[in-house]
Formats: sequence, C-alpha cells, structure tokens
Amino acid sequence: MDGGKVTVGRTAGLYIGAAVLRLAIFTLLPGLPDLLTGRVEISTPVTSFKRLQEGLFLYNHNVSPYDGGVYHQAPLFLPLFSLLPNALSYPIFTYLLYIAVDLLSASALWKIADSGEAGSSAQFTSPRREKRWSGFVIAAAFLLNPFTLATCIGRSTSVFTTCAILHAIAKAVSGAPFGAMVALSFASYLSMYPLLLLPPLLLLCYDRQRPDRADKSALSFAATHVPVVFGVLALLFGMSYLITGSWEFLPSTYGVQLTLSDLTPNVGLWWYFFIEMFDSFRSFFLAVFWLHLSCYVGGLTVRIRRQPLVVLTLLLGIFAIFKPYPSISDTSLFLGLVPLYRHVFPLMRYTFVIAAVILYASFLGPAFYYLWIYAGSGNANFFYAITLVWGLGQSLLVCDLMFAVLRDEWEVERPEMVGKEIRQI
Amino acid sequence: MPRLLSSALALRRDPRILKIPPYISLLCILVGTVWLFLLPLDEYSRRTYISENALLPGQVHTYFGGSDQNVLRAYKQEVNALVGKSNVEINDQLESIVKGLGLKTARQNFTYHAAGRTYEGENLYAILQAPRGDATEAIVLVAAWENVKHEVNRNGMPLVLTLARYFKRWSLWSKDIIILLSPDSIYGPQAWVDAYHDAHDSSHVSSLPLKSGALQGAIAIDYSQEHRFESVHIVYDGVNGQLPNLDLINSVVNIAGGQMGMGVALQEMWQHNNKYPQRLRTMLRGMLKQGLGLASGPHSSFIPYHVDAVTLRPFGEGWQDEMAMGRVVEGTFRSLNNLLEHLHQSFFFYLLMHRERFVSIGTYLPSAMLVAANFTIMAIFLWMKSGQPEPASTAPSSAESEKSAPPPTVERDLFLPLGVVTLCQFASAIPLYLFNQAPESALTPLFTTFLLINTALPFALSQFLTSFYAPSLQQYHLIKSFSLLLLGMFLSALATLNFSLAMIIGLLAAPLSFVGPFPNSPVASIICFVLLNIISPPAVLFASALYWGLDVTSVLREAAVAWHVTGTYSAVVVWCVWWPAWLAASVSVLGRPEAGHKKVKTA
Repeated sequence: MDGGKVTVGRTAGLYIGAAVLRLAIFTLLPGLPDLLTGRVEISTPVTSFKRLQEGLFLYNHNVSPYDGGVYHQAPLFLPLFSLLPNALSYPIFTYLLYIAVDLLSASALWKIADSGEAGSSAQFTSPRREKRWSGFVIAAAFLLNPFTLATCIGRSTSVFTTCAILHAIAKAVSGAPFGAMVALSFASYLSMYPLLLLPPLLLLCYDRQRPDRADKSALSFAATHVPVVFGVLALLFGMSYLITGSWEFLPSTYGVQLTLSDLTPNVGLWWYFFIEMFDSFRSFFLAVFWLHLSCYVGGLTVRIRRQPLVVLTLLLGIFAIFKPYPSISDTSLFLGLVPLYRHVFPLMRYTFVIAAVILYASFLGPAFYYLWIYAGSGNANFFYAITLVWGLGQSLLVCDLMFAVLRDEWEVERPEMVGKEIRQI
Repeated sequence: MPRLLSSALALRRDPRILKIPPYISLLCILVGTVWLFLLPLDEYSRRTYISENALLPGQVHTYFGGSDQNVLRAYKQEVNALVGKSNVEINDQLESIVKGLGLKTARQNFTYHAAGRTYEGENLYAILQAPRGDATEAIVLVAAWENVKHEVNRNGMPLVLTLARYFKRWSLWSKDIIILLSPDSIYGPQAWVDAYHDAHDSSHVSSLPLKSGALQGAIAIDYSQEHRFESVHIVYDGVNGQLPNLDLINSVVNIAGGQMGMGVALQEMWQHNNKYPQRLRTMLRGMLKQGLGLASGPHSSFIPYHVDAVTLRPFGEGWQDEMAMGRVVEGTFRSLNNLLEHLHQSFFFYLLMHRERFVSIGTYLPSAMLVAANFTIMAIFLWMKSGQPEPASTAPSSAESEKSAPPPTVERDLFLPLGVVTLCQFASAIPLYLFNQAPESALTPLFTTFLLINTALPFALSQFLTSFYAPSLQQYHLIKSFSLLLLGMFLSALATLNFSLAMIIGLLAAPLSFVGPFPNSPVASIICFVLLNIISPPAVLFASALYWGLDVTSVLREAAVAWHVTGTYSAVVVWCVWWPAWLAASVSVLGRPEAGHKKVKTA
C-alpha cells in the first residue's frame, strides 16, 4: 500500500485547504480583519496588531516605539514587520506571514501527535492509548478551530508565541532538548509567561532524550539546559537593546504584564478586579495574582510527573484563564492540545456541559460587550459576568481533563476499580 | 452531607429521572407564555416615572404662539406651493427660507440600491448655533417631506421652519439645534445619521460638510393631517428593536398629556381605556414591531447610534392646533436642553402598555429566557438519552445491575451529527443571500421555488443520509441535540438584544423540541412532517403576509431594503437561526434509524 503517498497528499491538502480558507476570508471579506483586530476578545494590549502598527510607525520614524505608551510588544517584532511592505497598502504580505505561522504551529502539533507522547510517556503507558486521533485530525482540529481562525484573521501577535510554544514541545518530544530550550526562550521573549513552562518542558526533554546520548542525572541535565534558555534570552535582550537603543522596552513590555498598567477589558479575570481596587492594595493583589498563576507549575509538575506533556497542556489551559491579558488565542492553543488526549475522553464527565458553556459564553460575550460599549444599555458588569462564565467553562475543561488523566493513571495502579464510580471521601 | 450526596447520586441513576425533561421543557414554554400574558396586570407592570431629574418636563412656560401663527401660515403657503416639485427644487426653496433665518445650511446626497431599486434623494439641514454652548452637543429636529405612508408633511414642514425661526430668537439654548429636512422618512435620516457619525459608505452617501457636537436627542414631526387634532401619537420603535430611553417618552407624555392637556397614544391604539385587553394589545403590537425590527419613522435611524429619538404624529379630530404641537416640541426641547449628560438614568429595555404603564427588562426577560431554556433542556436531555444503551440490548441486565454499577455510557459517534448540523447552518447563508440580493421582480418566483424546495429538501437530505451513512437512532438524537443547543444559545443571546424577536422565534420554533424520529411508524413521521411544514419559516412568512393582507413580494422587498439601508438583522435570525433548526428537526423526523447495527461500547 502506498500509505506514504496518501499521507503526503492529505497533509498537503489540509495545509493548502487551511491556507486557502484563510486567504479567502482575508480577501473576500476585506472589512473583517480590521473588525476582528479591534475586538477585545482577540486583541489584548500586549498582542494587538493595531498597536503594533503604531509602534512600527514610530520605529520607522526613528522615535522610540515605546513613547506614547501604546505599544507593549517585544522590540524584535519591529524589524520583522518593517521588512514587510506596509500593511495598509500591501496587506497580502502580512496575511501570508500569519497564515504561514499558523501552518507552522499546525505542523508542530502534528509532530507532537505522531510521537504518541500523550498516550505513552517514558514513565507511564496508558492502557487506552490505542484509541487516538492521528496527527492529521489534530492538526485539522487546530487549523479549523474558529478561535484559531479568528486569531489569525485578527492578526494578533500571540500566534507567534503559540507557534514557539508548540515548536518547543515538538522539539522536546522528538528528542532535541537544545531546540526546545531555544524555542521556549523565543516564546518567553515574546510573551513572558511561557517561561513558567520551563520545569515541565525540562522534564519532557529529559524523558525523551535520545538513548545514544542520554544524560542519566536529571540535575546535570537541568544544569546544562537551563543556562541555554537564559543565554538565548540574554542574546535576544541584547539584540532588542541594539534595536531600540535603550532598556526602555523592559518596563514597557514585561512591566506592563507584571503591573497590569493597561486596564483595557479582555476575556480574562484581572481587568475588572483591578479597575475596582483601591490603589493601596494594588501591589499586594498583583503579587497574589501572579503567585496564584505560577503556583500551579510546581504542584502539577510534581503530581503528574509521569506525564510531562499533560502538565504542559493543563498549564496552558490555566494560563488561558488566569494570565493578565488572555485572549481567545490562548484558548485556541489549549484546545489544540486537548484532542491529543482522545484516549481519556471517555473518562471525562462534563464534556457536553463544557462545550455548551464555552459556546454560550462565546456568543453572549460579544452580545454583552455590544450592549455595554455600543448600545450603552448595559454596563461593564454584563461583560465581566460573561468572562466569568468563559473562565468557568475553561476551568471545567482543565479540571475534567486532569480528572480523566489521573483516573487513567489510577486505574493502572488499581485494576480492580476499572469502570467503578469513585467518590472522594 | 455525604448521605445527601449519595442519595442525589442514586437519584441520578434512576431511569425515571430521564423521563422528566420533556415535561420540564413543556412547562418552561407554558410558564414563559403565561408570564407574558400576566405582564399587563397591575401587579406586574409599573407606573412610569421621570428618572432623570434634570429633565424637569413641563416645568417651563412655553411662549410659542401669538404672532408665530402668522409666520406659520406664511410658511404653509410656501410649502403648499412646493408640493409635487422635485426634491432639488423643494430643497432650493427651503434652503433660501432657512438661510433667511440666519442659520448655516448644508445639503447631502444619498443613493441606496436594494431589491433592484434605487432610492436616492438629497437632505437639507441647518445648524442653529447655541448662544450659550460650545458646539459640543446638539439636539435634532427632523421633518421629512413624506411620512412612511408617503403623505406629504403639509403641516410638519412649516411648523419646523416656524420653530427654527422661533428658537433662533431665544438666548437660552446651551446645545446646538440641528434642523434636518429630509425627502423621505427612512432613507434620508438614515443617510444623514450614518454620515454624521462617519459610519457611511462614501460611494453611496456623501459626507456632511457641516457638523456640530454629539447628538443628545432627536424629535421628528410627522404632521400630515390638514385639520386640528386631538392627541399625539408617539412612535418610538428603533431599528432592530432598539428603544429610546424611557425618560424621553415620559417627558413627551408629561408635556403633551400633562401640561398641554392633549391625549397621548402609543402603537396606533387610538382609543385606550387602560384596561387589561387594551394594555395587552398595546404591548403585543409593540413586541411585534420590535421583533420585525423595521424603521418606523425618521427617528428610527437615530436610535442605533445611541441618540434617543421619537416621532410625534398628531391624530384625531379635536381643538388642538399647530401652535399646541409647537409648544409640545418647545417644551421637550427645553427639557433636553437642561440635560447635563446623555439620557442614561431610565430604562432602555421596556415594554409600554399604556402611556403611563410599563414593564422593565427584569420582569419580562424571564419569559423569553424560559422559552430559550426549553431548547437547552431538551438538548441536554437528548444528549443524555444518546448516551444510554439502546433499550433492547440492556433489557435483561437492567434489573439486576440497577444497584451495583452506573449505567454504562455508550460511546457517541459525533462526526455525522456535527456534520449535519454544520451543513444546515452553512446552507442557511443561501436563502439569506438570495432574498437579500434578488431584484424585486424575481422575488415572487424565487419565493415560490424556495417554498417547494424547502418542502422537498428534508426528504432529499434524509434519503441521502439513510442511503450513504445509515445513521443510528443515537445519531438522530445527537443531530436534534446539537441543533437545539445552538437554537437555545442563539435565542438566549438574542433575547438580550431584541427580546421580542427572540420570543417570537422561540415560540414559533417551540414545537421543534418535541418531534423526533418515529422508527416504527412511517405514517406518523409523515403526519408529523406535514405539521412541521405548517410552521416552516417560509410557510409562516406566507401565512402572516396573508393575515395582514400584504403580498409576499412587498414583505420580502421591505426586508431586503431594511437589510441594505438600515441594517435590520431580523432576516439573519429567520434564515440563519430558525431555518437551520427547522431543517435539522425535519430531517430527524423523517429519519429511519438503523437499529442494532452498531457496536455498543462501554466506557
């Protein structure tokens, strides 16, 4: 059987289909990209394409892009986008760049799926691993996900972070720890929060080392690879310094994320809280919120030590809910990784509820935002209520997936309990 | 607590629990409908009140009258001489009059293409700069040359000119006053408001050469009757069911009804005794208008831009003259002039049932939400049902295993149902596109063809599914489940934007909750399908056109024009929310599920 040929044909078909679909939306609905760019669900202060244009304009006119306090993204975007022709007169080049980034992310996801890491890691092999979706299905689910599509059409710069994270994981599962570390440094450089993925990613790299050059000691493995991340980050910072001529970019990009100085509404849970807060409590709650976000890393990494990819997936889900400036792009990344766990889907208990909650929230969100901002007949509480529902839907998914994975592990330890109902005592 | 939990868990396993949801669902619809009919009662509705204290309606002495009557008569002569002339000639003459008053004037051209017709014209407008203001805010006085019934605004036009002359003499205005004279009641104001907010398509609607500040309110006068009047009819429905702030309506009611002593009517209820049947009728008329979402006068286009606006239309035989009407406008403008901020205090979502009686969103929304919830309940029920093993395969074991293990959940096959529902949703773009783009002459044949295809389509789709995929009963349940879930979701989101439309569509689609495949009786499924066809979107469209004595072509033309000009989205709701749900339900009614061919897997 010429399975190879068929696969190649299908691969090309999927990529071409996804690219054509995106290009068709870009060209047939010329008003849509700008409309989506303005949506708070897609563009946050740290990923907005509009703000990037502003920074680019300042950069091209030899003014510091961080003057004016609009641009909060990494400095290296500026030389990249100033290489492209002007996005207003020749938008097609920008479109092609974003489409290419989406396809690269999908190919990384495909590699992760084909590695089978989700079903059988170095320390744990799920008895259900046979029931899984191929890389084709998973890449298709990612590429055709409306959230991914909307992010791509809205030209949010978070697609670059998504791509870097997926490549870091893909490199890790294919036994290239050095590449994984470099990709993670890029992701962290662009959005900062991926740095929190370092511990589980290190474990994943450690577990998936090539046998011929395996480093036996975890400590020495970490000691050789953590410096890579910081080395690459230092290099990127140095380049940024050379480009912008000052260290101003550090407070304007990472500082904004750390201190939440821009309170533009988004789908996350921070903005409303910090709008309502008295200034004297601000720094305390900033610390609490960041501590809350980062405390999952240690706990999950230790508890699900045997399946580091699960930890990465769950963490991405948690970040999509609790990070300071989340958007549907983070959700699309999480939803892209969830189908890898097809084998534990039968163990999940609330799939229908989760799907319904996420669907309802994604329709009611824009409706309530419209009532608040345009019709003037609602207020900020309407939209915030929906972001709470949205967060609830995602956290249900995170919890349910975690439950299913832990139950899967538990059934290996306790074969007599397979299929029985369990209850916490 | 643990005992409670375990008994709750035991209850969850009880097979009887699965029988309940359809009844809950039916109960939701019944309660939702009854709720609606309770609203006009005194216990559920409220008296209106002025919420914004700055308005002070009816507190000022109005001076319009006296010698202004002579001015009005003179303008009436001028306007009567213009009847029958072209738009440009009329505007030339009116512009010279307005210029003579010392106001800045400007004109604006617009052209709309819809349903194969062209609607064009030229707006004339003038700005009276506020002696005490800084041109940051403005109020608009609109008079359209023709009202929505194409009667010439014989008294309204001269009245607006007289008022402009009168207002110019006063030094107390703190907001600019814009006089807008448009050739018709829908397209002209729409073009003007779009251009005022720079939201126009400049290839069809030209930009405004002259602008003032943010619009705070607008009053349109539609005074086409020649003789004296008895009462004022307040038209307040905006495009897509949006409403002006209730304070504006209350102010007008207060000034016209209280200060001037004239009658006030709403929703073409010329007589209103404030009893239950009249209240109910007023409310239902309001809901129907809101649901249709069409523009009902020159004021309608203002409301989507968050500019509160009403049209005032005198009617009846009485002793009130044009001067009284002018004093109503003067009083209202004095109130609006007092505003320190945009009207925001009072309600934006309400149903009026009498000029002094209303219900607010908190009271009426539950009825639409209950109707929408019925679909969600049925969707969850069908999902649970699809997870149950088919009765035949578990009948022997069910008795003994009731206590020991939870019922095994059958693996669900999601791809086919998801595909069918997605296909139905995407197919809905076709009728939407066709009916919005077709020229007027093609609308009737198109509608007839669509009606026929629509009847045959479920058969074809069902035959296609049966012969190629042989769906199981579970998959039919899932098709229904997903389509009802989507319907419930769309309707509950819609209920927050346009309550009436969500309620109407919800009630019309309610039977879809309760129909399903009849595996053993083809006759029953045919009967059910015939019944379903009676409530199909095109059939309902046809029947309601017959009922109101309209022909379908004009209804479709109006819908297409409303879509292109005012952006009414009711057609989207009919074709992209209701129709796909109907199609999915019809397919599942006609379905012939293959029993027993699929593997029952336990999780």
